[in-house]
Amino acid sequence: MPLIKRWIEVFPVTDFISIGMLLSVVAVVSIKRMEGCLRAYVINSWLLAGLMAAFAVWLSIPHLYIAAFFTIAGKCVLIPFFLRRIMRNLKIEPGAQSSYLNTPASLIISFALVVLVYSFISAGVFVAGAARNVLKISVSIILISLFMMITRKKAVSQVMGLLFMENGLFLAGFSLTYGMPTIIELGVLFDMLMGVMILGLFLTQIKKSFVSVDLDRLTSLKG
Amino acid sequence: MGNLQFLIMLLLSPLLQGVIKKIKALSQGRVGSGVLQPYRDLTRLFKKEMVIPDSASWVFHAAPYIAFMAVIAASMMAPVLNAGAPVFRMGDIIALIYTLALGRFFLTLAGLDAGTAFGGEGSSREATVAILVEPTMGLAIFTAAIAAGSTGIAAITKSSNILQSPANVLAFAAFFVALLAETGRVPVDNPDTHLELTMIHEGMVLEYSGRYLALLEWAHYMKQMLLFTVAIDLFFPFGVSAGGSFFALLPVIPKAGILYALKLLLLAAAVAVTESSRAKLRFFQLPSLLGGAFVLALLSIITLVMLGR
Repeated sequence: MPLIKRWIEVFPVTDFISIGMLLSVVAVVSIKRMEGCLRAYVINSWLLAGLMAAFAVWLSIPHLYIAAFFTIAGKCVLIPFFLRRIMRNLKIEPGAQSSYLNTPASLIISFALVVLVYSFISAGVFVAGAARNVLKISVSIILISLFMMITRKKAVSQVMGLLFMENGLFLAGFSLTYGMPTIIELGVLFDMLMGVMILGLFLTQIKKSFVSVDLDRLTSLKG
Repeated sequence: MGNLQFLIMLLLSPLLQGVIKKIKALSQGRVGSGVLQPYRDLTRLFKKEMVIPDSASWVFHAAPYIAFMAVIAASMMAPVLNAGAPVFRMGDIIALIYTLALGRFFLTLAGLDAGTAFGGEGSSREATVAILVEPTMGLAIFTAAIAAGSTGIAAITKSSNILQSPANVLAFAAFFVALLAETGRVPVDNPDTHLELTMIHEGMVLEYSGRYLALLEWAHYMKQMLLFTVAIDLFFPFGVSAGGSFFALLPVIPKAGILYALKLLLLAAAVAVTESSRAKLRFFQLPSLLGGAFVLALLSIITLVMLGR
């Protein structure tokens, strides 16, 4: 164990993992297929769990192991399972996700968001210790997924954006506080699970009333 | 002795091409031609008679020599086994990239010179790809250069060891995509076909035959090996010796050679696997791929600035 601890200190493992998370979110901005987005989400969640485990070893906080375990169970297994089932039931075509912006423009904007976050946070906020870099990355993840929710047209990809955003929030939360109490983490996870199920119901209703999950059609409510 | 390292690239670059083709064939379940096949192709082409188009001007005759010499000049600037040789003061990484661009410029001119439709098409596509790739490659290289505090390739090689920060990993990923585009590999160009709709490099050299074609092909192989070497020098140069007297180097060089061969083999395998697992992109989708690589390179620089070395 002390060996792994030293290893985490010598190689910037936490930096590597959190950059990996940022990269998977940036990748989702450019991925058009739903299946690819879902896979990126699973990778993102594995990285989040890995980061928690690394923090747990590094700072000797045992209850982060539990949080990591529940992250894997919830975000890498259950939520993708539900989402896949929803997509299968609704017969959502797995193909191209329409967006208001083309891929290069979305990529450049998400990069601009990262630059904004990096420059503002390094100027104003004082955070020391392990969370120094992780905080910047997590805020970038939150903003990029918010951007994705704004520009994507289909309801399913907005659910994906919400999930990525929650991963970013979780990252910010546990890197700043070194682990919230386990009960809160469990509660947040359970909320997410419920959220995905409720959104699934919601999607089913949209599909039933409008035949498509394209949110542009919701404007026809105006009459 | 160190000044003659480019001979390694000059002589072994067809072998590297053969190895990539062999790995590609094996990963597709074919037997494939032998690894020495590119040498046989080159000797056959050197013996053959040349057919020169009537409309060709002096550019057509000069381009193969200029392209070949530009690649040789560029490969003199990249350390292969020993980073301490005096020749590396000749130019830095920026000089290397733009010396290569000189060869490419004359190749595109030659493609236009013969006046056929395919030559012009190939040249226009090559120029478009070059414009898209250049900023990516530049930024990826600058990430390594900022971390080392110098744009000299030998200095970067001496100062780093292996991808030791997230910034370098991102820069390497961007560089790899740029490398695929520069060497005309599958997501961008298809090196195996003369299918008129897809060809870029092959379109430009379509009018060439015999000796000239051999020179151009050889230059292409060398450029590929040179870019692999630059990737090794910038991103995982462990094992490359820092220089010293001849006798001090004697025991170090074999180890450096073996490590270099292994790293080349890994990169070749990565390229071959990418090539056989990906489909070629439509030409108008290339900006998405290369734009993605560009954002990756931008992220690598901002990561370097924000997270430190």
